[in-house]
Amino acid sequence: MGGRAGFFEVEILDWKTKKQLCFLDKVEPNATIREIRLMFHKLYPRWYPARQSIKLDPKGKSLRDEEILQHLPVGTTATLYFKDLGPQIGWTTVFLIEYTGPLFIYFLFYFRMPFVYGLDERFTSSPHPVVNLACICHSFHYIKRLIETVFVHRFSHGTMPLRNIVKNCLYYWGFAAWLAYYINHPLYTPPSYGKKQINFAVIMFLLCEAGNFSIHVALSDLRRNGSKTRKIPYPTKNPFTWLFFFVSCPNYTYEVGTWISFTIMTQCVPVGLFTLLCFIQMTIWAKDKHCTYLREFKDYPSLRMPIIPFLLLKKKKKKA
Amino acid sequence: MAASGSGGSRADNGYGSQQPRRRKGPGALATAYLVIYNVVMTAGWLVIAVGLVRAYLAKGSYHSLYYSIEKPLKFFQTGALLEILHCAFGIVPSSVVLTAFQVMSRVFLTWAVTHSVKEVQTEDSVLLFVVAWTITEIIRYSFYTFSLLNHLPYLIKWARYTLFIVLYPMGVSGELLTIYAALPFVRQSGLYSISLPNKYNFSFDYYTFLILVMISYIPIFPQLYFHMLHQRRKVLSHTEEHKKSE
Repeated sequence: MGGRAGFFEVEILDWKTKKQLCFLDKVEPNATIREIRLMFHKLYPRWYPARQSIKLDPKGKSLRDEEILQHLPVGTTATLYFKDLGPQIGWTTVFLIEYTGPLFIYFLFYFRMPFVYGLDERFTSSPHPVVNLACICHSFHYIKRLIETVFVHRFSHGTMPLRNIVKNCLYYWGFAAWLAYYINHPLYTPPSYGKKQINFAVIMFLLCEAGNFSIHVALSDLRRNGSKTRKIPYPTKNPFTWLFFFVSCPNYTYEVGTWISFTIMTQCVPVGLFTLLCFIQMTIWAKDKHCTYLREFKDYPSLRMPIIPFLLLKKKKKKA
Repeated sequence: MAASGSGGSRADNGYGSQQPRRRKGPGALATAYLVIYNVVMTAGWLVIAVGLVRAYLAKGSYHSLYYSIEKPLKFFQTGALLEILHCAFGIVPSSVVLTAFQVMSRVFLTWAVTHSVKEVQTEDSVLLFVVAWTITEIIRYSFYTFSLLNHLPYLIKWARYTLFIVLYPMGVSGELLTIYAALPFVRQSGLYSISLPNKYNFSFDYYTFLILVMISYIPIFPQLYFHMLHQRRKVLSHTEEHKKSE
C-alpha cells in the first residue's frame, strides 16, 4: 500500500541477510539520515546511531547524517540497508587513553620500579642529567597532546570502532615501554657529543613542539563555528604556520621533527626506530590528506607537498 | 615458510584466461621478462633437485646433502627477492607485503639460520625443508611460466594446488627443527646479539628472537594452510565446471 500523500515509507533491511529489520511509515520527505538513525535506535536500543551504517546499496558506502531523504535516489518507499559497525568509541576518549598510557608508563621506568630493572636498582636514579631532561621532554610531549585533545582538536568523525583501541594502545604503550626501558637503564650511555648534542636537540624539540601546537590551533580555528566542512588552511601571522606554504600537513612535519630531536637527545636506537615508524605512518596520512585536498579544491596551492617541502612521493602507476 | 610461496594471494594470477580481468595484464616487455625469470628459476630449482639426487646416489646416504647444493640454493632462493620488486612495480598483481613476508622468511632461514649456524648444516631437518622447497618451487615457477604463456597443463595446476598438502607441513617441520637445533649454538656464541652498555643504547638477543620466530609459526601456519585449502577447492572445482561446459 502506498504511503499517505507527501510522506515517505522507509524500510530498513539487514545488509547481509536482507531481512526486514524495521518499517517506518509517515516519514517526512525532508527527514535527515540522522533522524532515521534516531528512529531506528528507538526500535533497537542497543544499536545507537554511531554504530549504525545506513546505506543505499548493501555493499555501498554509509550515508552521512546530513543527507536528506527526498534528495536520495529512492522512490517514495525507500529501501535502506543496515550494517552494525560494532561498538564505537569517541575520538576524544581514544586519544585520552592512547596518550595517558605512555605518560605513566615512562614514569614506571624513570623511577625504576622494582619489577623493571631488578630489586638492586629499585628506586635509584641516573647520574646523567640527560636522562632527567628526556623524562621532562617525553612527559611534556604527552601532556601537551592531552591538553590539545581536550581543548584544541575538533574532530570531523565522532567515533571509531572499539577494537581499534586495543591495537593502537598496544602500539603506543608498547613502544613507550620499549624506549623508556633503554633511556632509564642503569647501563645507559649518554650521547657521544655531550652537551653540544643535547642542547641542539632541546632547541629543535622546543621549536617543533611550538610549531606543532601552532598548526593544531590554526586547524582548529578553521572549524571555530562548529562546521564540519573542510577548508584550505593558510599561513597566519605566526611564523610557525608559514610551513603551510610548503606542505599540506605541517603538524605531521613538526611531529616527526620532535621525534628526531628526541632521538638525537637520547642517542637511542629504539627511539630512532619509533621515529622511523612515525614518519612512515604520518607520510601515509599526509599523502591521503593531500590527495583529498587536491580532489576537493580546484585552486589548491600547487607548491605544497604532503609532508616534506618540495618532495612528493608519486603513487606507483599500475598499468590500467 | 616452506610451501607458503606456492599460493597465497597469487592464486588469482594463475587463472590465466579463465578469470575476467578488469585491467590489462603486464605489457609485452614485462611478460617477456617474467617468462624468462620464471624459466630461469624453474631451471635453477631443477639443478638443485638433480644435485640432491646425484649426491644421494654418490654418497649412498641422505645425510649431509646440504653441502652439495649449498651454492645454487643460496643463489636461487635469494634471487626470489626480485619477486618483491615485481609486485612493487605492478607487473605481478600480488600484495607487496604478503610477498615480502613470504620471501623474507625463506631468505631468513637460508642465511640467518642455516648459513650462519654452521653446526646445523649436517642436520637431517635441513634436507627436509630443502626437499619441500625444491619440489614446491619447481612446480610453482613452471606454473607461472605456463600461465604467462596461456598454456597451463591441468597436471601442473593440480600439482600446485594439491602437493602442498604434504609439502607445506613437511617444510614447516624441517624449518622448525632446524631453528630448534641452532638454539644452543646461538646461545653459546652470542651470535647476532648485542648487550648493554653501548653507545646506541640498544640490546638484542638473537636466541630469544629465534624462539619468538618459532612461536610465530603457531598462528601463521594454520592460517596460510587453510587459505591454500580454500584456494584449492575454488580453483579445482572451477576447472571441473569449465570442463563440463565444453
